[in-house]
Amino acid sequence: MMRGVSKRIGSIKFSILSPEEIRKMSATKVITADTYDDDGFPIDMGLMDPHLGVIEPGLRCKTCGNKVDECPGHFGHIDLAMPVIHVGLVKEIKKLLQSTCKSCGRLLMTQEEAAEKTKQMEMVEELGGDAIDYRILAKDLAKDASKNAVCPHCGEIQGKITLDKPTTFREDGHKLTPKEVRERLERIPDDDLLPLGIDPASCRPEWMVLTALAVPPVTVRPSITLESGDRSEDDLTHKLVDVLRINQRLRENRDAGAPQLIVEDLWELLQYHVTTYYDNQTSGIPPARHRSGRPLKTLVQRLKGKEGRFRSNLSGKRVNFSARTVISPDPALSINEVGVPYSAARELTVPVRVTRANIEVLKEMVKRGNNPPLENGKYVPGVNYVIRSDGRRMKVTERNAETIAEGLELEYIIERHLMDKDVVLFNRQPSLHRMSMMAHTVRVMPWKTFRFNLCVCPPYNADFDGDEMNLHVLQSDEARAEALILMRVQEHILSPRFGGPIIGAIHDHITGSFLLTHKNPRFDEEDTINILSKVKFDEIPEPNFDENGNKYWTGYQMFSLILPEDFRITFKSSICRHCQTCLKENCDMDAYVKIRNGQHLCGTIDENAIGAFKGKILNKIAHDYGSTEAKDFLNNITKLAIGAIMARGFTTGIDDEDIPIEATRQIEEMLADSVTKVSELVEAYREGILEQLPGRSLDETLEVEVMKLLGRARDEAGQIAGRHLGMENPAVIMARSGARASMLNLSQMAGCIGQQAVRGERLSRGYWNRTLPHFKKGDLGAEAKGFVQNSYKSGLTPTEFFFHSMGGREGLVDTAVRTSRSGYMQRRLINALEDLKLKQDGTVRNTADMVIQLKYGEDGVDPTRSASGEALDIDDILTEVLGDEAEIILRIEEKKQTGYATMEQDLMEAVVEDDLEMEEPEYDLGGGGED
Amino acid sequence: MARKDTQNALRRRGVSDLVIEKLLSKYSTIGDVSAASVEELINAGLTSEEAADVFAKVGKTTTKRETKKSSAKKQQEAPAEKIHYNLVDKSRAHTELEEKLLTMLEENDMNLPMRVVTNIASRIEGISIPEEKILDVLKKSYSRYLDHQMDANESAGILAAQSIGEPGTQMTMRTFHYAGVAEINVTLGLPRLIEIVDARRVPSTPMMEVHIEPAYMGDVDIVRKVASKIEKTTLLDIADIETDIANMKVVVHLDPVKLEQKDITIQQIQEKLSKDRRLRGLVAVEDGQIVISSDEPSFKKLQAIVQASRDAVIQGLDGIERAILRKQGNEYVIYTAGSNLRDVLNEDKVDKTRTTTNSIQEIYDVLGVEAARNSIINEASKTLEEQGLSVDIRHIMLVADLMTNDGDVKAIGRHGISGRKSSVLARAAFEITATHLLHAALTGEVDYLDGVAENIIVGQPVTLGTGAVNLIYSPKRPKEAQE
Repeated sequence: MMRGVSKRIGSIKFSILSPEEIRKMSATKVITADTYDDDGFPIDMGLMDPHLGVIEPGLRCKTCGNKVDECPGHFGHIDLAMPVIHVGLVKEIKKLLQSTCKSCGRLLMTQEEAAEKTKQMEMVEELGGDAIDYRILAKDLAKDASKNAVCPHCGEIQGKITLDKPTTFREDGHKLTPKEVRERLERIPDDDLLPLGIDPASCRPEWMVLTALAVPPVTVRPSITLESGDRSEDDLTHKLVDVLRINQRLRENRDAGAPQLIVEDLWELLQYHVTTYYDNQTSGIPPARHRSGRPLKTLVQRLKGKEGRFRSNLSGKRVNFSARTVISPDPALSINEVGVPYSAARELTVPVRVTRANIEVLKEMVKRGNNPPLENGKYVPGVNYVIRSDGRRMKVTERNAETIAEGLELEYIIERHLMDKDVVLFNRQPSLHRMSMMAHTVRVMPWKTFRFNLCVCPPYNADFDGDEMNLHVLQSDEARAEALILMRVQEHILSPRFGGPIIGAIHDHITGSFLLTHKNPRFDEEDTINILSKVKFDEIPEPNFDENGNKYWTGYQMFSLILPEDFRITFKSSICRHCQTCLKENCDMDAYVKIRNGQHLCGTIDENAIGAFKGKILNKIAHDYGSTEAKDFLNNITKLAIGAIMARGFTTGIDDEDIPIEATRQIEEMLADSVTKVSELVEAYREGILEQLPGRSLDETLEVEVMKLLGRARDEAGQIAGRHLGMENPAVIMARSGARASMLNLSQMAGCIGQQAVRGERLSRGYWNRTLPHFKKGDLGAEAKGFVQNSYKSGLTPTEFFFHSMGGREGLVDTAVRTSRSGYMQRRLINALEDLKLKQDGTVRNTADMVIQLKYGEDGVDPTRSASGEALDIDDILTEVLGDEAEIILRIEEKKQTGYATMEQDLMEAVVEDDLEMEEPEYDLGGGGED
Repeated sequence: MARKDTQNALRRRGVSDLVIEKLLSKYSTIGDVSAASVEELINAGLTSEEAADVFAKVGKTTTKRETKKSSAKKQQEAPAEKIHYNLVDKSRAHTELEEKLLTMLEENDMNLPMRVVTNIASRIEGISIPEEKILDVLKKSYSRYLDHQMDANESAGILAAQSIGEPGTQMTMRTFHYAGVAEINVTLGLPRLIEIVDARRVPSTPMMEVHIEPAYMGDVDIVRKVASKIEKTTLLDIADIETDIANMKVVVHLDPVKLEQKDITIQQIQEKLSKDRRLRGLVAVEDGQIVISSDEPSFKKLQAIVQASRDAVIQGLDGIERAILRKQGNEYVIYTAGSNLRDVLNEDKVDKTRTTTNSIQEIYDVLGVEAARNSIINEASKTLEEQGLSVDIRHIMLVADLMTNDGDVKAIGRHGISGRKSSVLARAAFEITATHLLHAALTGEVDYLDGVAENIIVGQPVTLGTGAVNLIYSPKRPKEAQE
């Protein structure tokens, strides 16, 4: 088996086939339009001639003697009775006809002018111009030349060449036959072609008018045998049949001396067929159709577009050794692992070469067959195929397993089932960044889904509402090594986008760590052991409390266990209320996190500590201690948090948003009050006493004022409701700790949903001058224009429900439009930037060796390794050098301004809350709806 | 000029591949080759025949060079009168501490980006720290800085494209009101990002931020005057226009309050109106009102006069539809809807250093390509930041540098960067497949397969990352192995 690439293709040169070359490379001349005879055998010198290659298994190619898959196919050719023009090159032909003399064929330019122009071209070359610049110059030159009405070489007066789309040339109104065109092109000397941007070595202009047509091998246009036994030919074959038929008739008529008119008609028909054979979407002519009326897919159509050869078969390919199934979570797995179901593992294989060292083991494996039963309830790998040294594949079945195992020899290759610790690539579409495809190690498991640690959800952007993912098994040691070093999950904890962790705790992990550490709760011995049982650590510390012989450990103690020994950090939790003066250690919210020497001294561990995107502790561990340490930390935090949440118990329900009747009444009153205020505003507007805002019309002023008022009303409702939702409320815990949802969501459930908006404005469309027939025409009040007073919990009135769905629809449409637009933008970005790489000398260059940047990012710093965008974390260095609690450090901290870059979700929230309109809740459509 | 281009250029001049190889090892541009004498060429490792051949084929251009030189000499003889521009230096002088840090770095043969030095200085400014501690800090910083360097052969481009493209799915589509200036609509989010990347000529919502020179920036009246001077004001904005059919004239009732606000006099209006071709010679001032009388008794003409006077621009710059003042800290800033950088910069009292527009093309036209590059970076990172998405500035810089690489602003897409790739296959794989392939055949283009797309197409490892290097294992000879 050949592995790796021993030779590289150095370059590919493009040129046009000359008729001689077409004939020379042709395996056979094609003359009959028929394909198969009555017995189903291909006709000689027909389109399916066996000289053109084989498509049926068992047969041998008459040209090279190889079988199917070994014979690459061979070109044939059709001699055209009369020349025809190549559609793709008409523009070029026109340019040539216009810029050269009709009689002597020279460029319509004096030698000196031409020399001048060529000099210009050389200049462009010298200055590093690319092919496009060159082409533009050549075009200009052609244009200049065509302006000369008299040939400076022979004095001939030139006619005016026009092009009747798609392929008819006229000179002063008279038709030029392709034959005449060809004759003229033949006359152009090689020396005059270079200035026109044509390389005479790769393309003589007369080759643009075809006299011989290359017939692609049958392997390019295989015929399919239908179930009924009928043959169905490829579109290209159909088209070639047309060409042959007309070619034949044209030749006969011409040779028989038929009237000029008939010959010309047939000539034109031949031109049409050759044109559509190349491009069936040529503008100006009707596309050739199949009998069923479907337009034929001819050469250009095969190459073009998303489903074309280039994008669909060359830039991307279908692969073997891959699997796809639904995903589900498993916190027991490491972030590096993926759970693979038995059924998938038995289908996917890894090739193993038989050596002296492993032959015994492999024999055992082969003996198990291709579907071994569980051994002691455990999965064991079997073997699907054995490949002998001569390349023959033998399928291993239960019956022949024994014999094949006995016959196993060195240098054989066996294809064994997937087993634990195998390296695979795991991918979820859309693959927007490199973290969408990472290497995991396999854990073969029962049931039918792929499973992975929840911390890995953010990079894949995966959830478990029916998402499916793909898995690819690596086949060579080189690939495995590369995947393990470069693509392993742990190597991608830090995102190159912003230099922070993209893999990290989400949802219940954050709730769990909050419950474990908020205000440092105590856990009895049983709970402690339960929580710590799965965590990797050295030794259970001494219990913090000992009451009446009952030992108690604290949350801080447990969390400290999984921190590196010399870990040191200080920051504020996500539950921090941003008080004016920070009480630091004495914070009554326990929001000031302080860790010294790996000991958690105070503060709640929540999203700001371990969360994906924001986790500061995680960020520091990944940066300073390396990916392995960070992986262990994430594995441990998963187990710790899940342990804690199970020990404490956690549930949420609609009654979490229960607020006292007193509060409900208060909210109702407040909202009613606001609605009246809105009507007062409308009244003022009607009477014309509303004060106009500068730069706004009266109508706009009213809208702004109303939006402001109602926005405030919703906030106030939220605040009133919030007063009755304390930190012990599970929904609040989730919102404040950053696990899921926001306080805004809660206030919409408990208080009031607020104003609905479409395009940032109050709802206004629907009926004439009103949104719904339930309202008076011209009603500008709160209810009539989409203010929802109710909460999700109290339920919506029919009109409110309708308004709410209007707002929801906008969100859905927005998402749909956005995905396609941003997808195209990313494709263009990737295409433009894919070739840029950092060279050894620190410059960024493209493939033409042009310097794009003299130093990457002006400082050469890898964004992944940067301290949130900065080259290095100066505070960290200062504390390291100047000593931990030194007085100086304290002073520096005081001086420090709002140093850190604002992180993702901080800003998100700010934007949402600043906005006057409400945020739409996520519409979870459940299974399968995610794609 | 890139090596490949030189190679092509030489080949086109009929130099054989073998000789080209030799030449390329010594010379990097065709200019160098043509400047070389026969002896020099022989020194470069060519045989004498080869050298003579090359000199004959390529060396000719030396004549051209001479002409160039002579014309350059002429220029030297009559130096054009130098125009003195007051170049604005935004960078401030280094502080004492920064100087000290810089010398310390230099003495110890270390090098840190200025930004890091500034950061360190600002942290320890005014705190007494012993010299050796500072040196420790610098040493540590330097070693960390080296650790944080990007690896060679890293696919920096793909990294940047993904980092900017991926958050695109999380952005909004709507047009928002600019934070604070509610009156002006600004395109934000994904549409704006696409607009920047597309290098559109005119943004969908052009907008300017005009600053006033520090001396006046706190004075509302002065700022307002500047604002009213740049804001486009039509006659209709400051007056009611009445058509007097009986007397065949148009009477303009000016609003004195608005005149006052905008600092316009009747004379100015009259002047401006008189300049209009359709109103020439018809405008008169009659007791504080402007009267435009028709010179021929036709209602059609009268109608035309009304139309002309309505649209007549009394004051302001082209394109500036609206100007709004806003207080920012201790200064007043003018925000405008519409943009006209060239003319605004020519206005008095406008601070030329801080005034900006969101139109990248305009910045390119007025201030040049480096300014355009900065503008792309600023606008793109502002757009992303506003959406609450953190993207490392280096990624945006790379995109901006690529777009402005050859001196003008090129779009990301088939009309810009992608259409100008050196590889035929890469271009064909992107868009307009057939055209690219046919053209490549005409010119006999050669694809050297050193990009990503083309190598994937032919099924070879790409030239980035691990594909860019080769590991060669040289086994020890049996003897050595035994030892």
